[in-house]
Amino acid sequence: MELELGLALPGGDLIAELGLASEKRTSTCRKRGFDDMFYGATSPPLFVHKDGDDDDGDDDDSRFNHLQELNLGSRVLVGWPPVRVSRRKGEEGGKRRVNCVKVNMEGVAIGRKVDLSLHDSYQALFLTLSQMFPKKQHDGEESDAAFYKVTYEDEDGDWMLVGDVPWEAFIQSVKRLKILN
Amino acid sequence: MVGGFRWAAMFPDEVWEHVFSFLPADADRNAAALVCRAWYRIERRSRWRVFVGNCYAVEPAAAVRRFPEVRAAAIKGKPHFADFNLVPSDWGGGAEAWVEAMAEGWPHLEELRLKRMVVSDDCLELIARCFKNFKVLSLVSCEGFSTAGLAAIAANCRNLRELDLHENEVEDNCLHWMSHFPESFASLVTLNIACLEGEVNVSVLERLIGRCPNLKTLRLNHSVPLERLVGLLHRVPQLVDLGTGKFAAQHHPELFSKLESAIAGCKNLKSLSGFWEAGPTYLPAIYSVCEGLTSLNLSYATLQGPELIKLISRCKNLQRLWVMDLIEDDGLIAVAASCKLLQELRVFPSDPYGAAQPISLTEHGLVAISAGCPMLHSVLYFCRQMTNAALLTVAKNCPNFTCFRLCIMEPHTPDYITRQPLDAGFSAIVESCKHLRRLSLSGLLTDLVFKSIGASANCLEMLSVAFAGDGDAGLHYILSGCKNLRKLEIRDCPFGDKPLLDNAAKLETMRSLWMSSCSVTLGACRQLARKMPLLNVEVINERKRGLPLELQPDNCPVEKLYIYRTVAGPRSDTPSCVWILR
Repeated sequence: MELELGLALPGGDLIAELGLASEKRTSTCRKRGFDDMFYGATSPPLFVHKDGDDDDGDDDDSRFNHLQELNLGSRVLVGWPPVRVSRRKGEEGGKRRVNCVKVNMEGVAIGRKVDLSLHDSYQALFLTLSQMFPKKQHDGEESDAAFYKVTYEDEDGDWMLVGDVPWEAFIQSVKRLKILN
Repeated sequence: MVGGFRWAAMFPDEVWEHVFSFLPADADRNAAALVCRAWYRIERRSRWRVFVGNCYAVEPAAAVRRFPEVRAAAIKGKPHFADFNLVPSDWGGGAEAWVEAMAEGWPHLEELRLKRMVVSDDCLELIARCFKNFKVLSLVSCEGFSTAGLAAIAANCRNLRELDLHENEVEDNCLHWMSHFPESFASLVTLNIACLEGEVNVSVLERLIGRCPNLKTLRLNHSVPLERLVGLLHRVPQLVDLGTGKFAAQHHPELFSKLESAIAGCKNLKSLSGFWEAGPTYLPAIYSVCEGLTSLNLSYATLQGPELIKLISRCKNLQRLWVMDLIEDDGLIAVAASCKLLQELRVFPSDPYGAAQPISLTEHGLVAISAGCPMLHSVLYFCRQMTNAALLTVAKNCPNFTCFRLCIMEPHTPDYITRQPLDAGFSAIVESCKHLRRLSLSGLLTDLVFKSIGASANCLEMLSVAFAGDGDAGLHYILSGCKNLRKLEIRDCPFGDKPLLDNAAKLETMRSLWMSSCSVTLGACRQLARKMPLLNVEVINERKRGLPLELQPDNCPVEKLYIYRTVAGPRSDTPSCVWILR
């Protein structure tokens, strides 16, 4: 990880960007996969395309390709298969198991921990993240394109974009989170 | 007939009331009410049971005014797809307006059944305070309340007979809510708390049920340990319907034999459910009652095929079976051989996202059941592969289906042998099953299947469609056919504006239409809303939350669309992601 030691805490307003990210999530869940195949994508897929090296020795080269495959071969859609949420929770006996994962922000030395079991949706998670890593004002300029992307490492060691899979599948496979600039 | 229906005045009102009491369905009473003003007047004063399929279809005050003598009301809120997170959580379906109107106009209300509504603790408190003779509270798939609200019900409803909480999201903030039932309270017949996530004070529960001699249904939640089930059962040997708590514990011969004898002591048991975390160890404890069971819900138990077969083959009188796909084809073949009285089968996916090893539950299981169970009429089946041939066989074996819901979990899956769409298979189902009322489609489907459905499915009332069809024609076939269609829900299909606009009048004959991720534009919705004043055309766009819809162009795609007939006009409780077009 790039260590940028500064005297100030990372500041700024992640909220709007992360809020946008969560809205776009709905559209990407809807728009990718089979919709793209059959009547064309009208919005660009939200990929993590990270140039340059990587911080934890992860295999960066295949990341973009992997996600591309995931897009076309993606089997995860909102609300599909049509199984009630309570039924999916039922297997765990409905008990809340603490599920803490580390969160690092690119360029920030100090990481945090977030307990996913206290959240029930991506929106809730993004809100917590925006409070943990408030965004610094870039001289009053806010570029729409430069929204923050949140990625996660899943149980296979792959880095994926947060928001692609239904929440319940996400919390079962997520190992840690990384917020990208 | 000039002079009006004078013959209606030949008999006193009470006679007509008595005649109307024989009309079985609301639809019949509605028809009678249209005959003449006298019958309208008599019918409305004598209707005591009301069903409101869409809480926004009528103003609560209007409903209460028209039927002043109602004792039992059932109301539904959110669209069905809310169960699968497709409806924004703040969409609506709040119960306050209804509960307030009912508290005002129906003080003698005895039964209230709410489904997919947002029920606050305030609502529960109002119910507890205002209805002096309240007997039945049934909340299904609701949210917004907590155990504090339940405490109010417990404390105040002196004549409560049924507290039925089914699959609700309940906040657990009042651990001792059950202690609020007074010591003198003894009227419970049904207590279903299976959906509660928190701890239950089993001692309090024991005392409560111990003083309710009429208790027939008791469904516990997963927090009740197996050891305590024994004590509970001893207090209610008259139970007909039992939902266990956690059905696992360390193996202990003494516990096993106590459990076995406690269950055997319940000689009237007809229905079993619960079975959280059930394993092979304690399952045999229920063998003694299997012969008498008519309903068995193992859908929360991750039992494997062999255990399931051992259990279910003893249940010769089973009519309803809910189970996980871990039962596999072999298990279903055994069910087909043993359960000749089976009427309803539901097979749920143990692993909806396909991450685990594949399960051997295929079209063969479904065919076996269809062949072996002549009384089968309702099926919900999640699987990963299907063939047209299998569906043709099922259609031939089971012409009496009333409900057929097949979910092939991968969208667009064709017949895995012929690689053809599954049009032929589903067409066979609708052509053979003349009494089919509910149908859910899946797999690779073209417009052809909709042609068959539109033409043949004359009794169909509810249709669910996902990832199917080629274009507008598909939706047009449905809307121009299916003369009894009430509810249509569609997701991810290439259906656009034309069939909606061409069949606008049809929408007024239906309760509701849901379309999400289709190809409908805002312009068409605007046109539809202008043309059909008795429809609420709700455009739901979570991405554009808060932005003024009036500024969006006509060709703007609509993310989600919910259209329903109403005499209440546009509702006033829409969140920022919902626009009602006029």
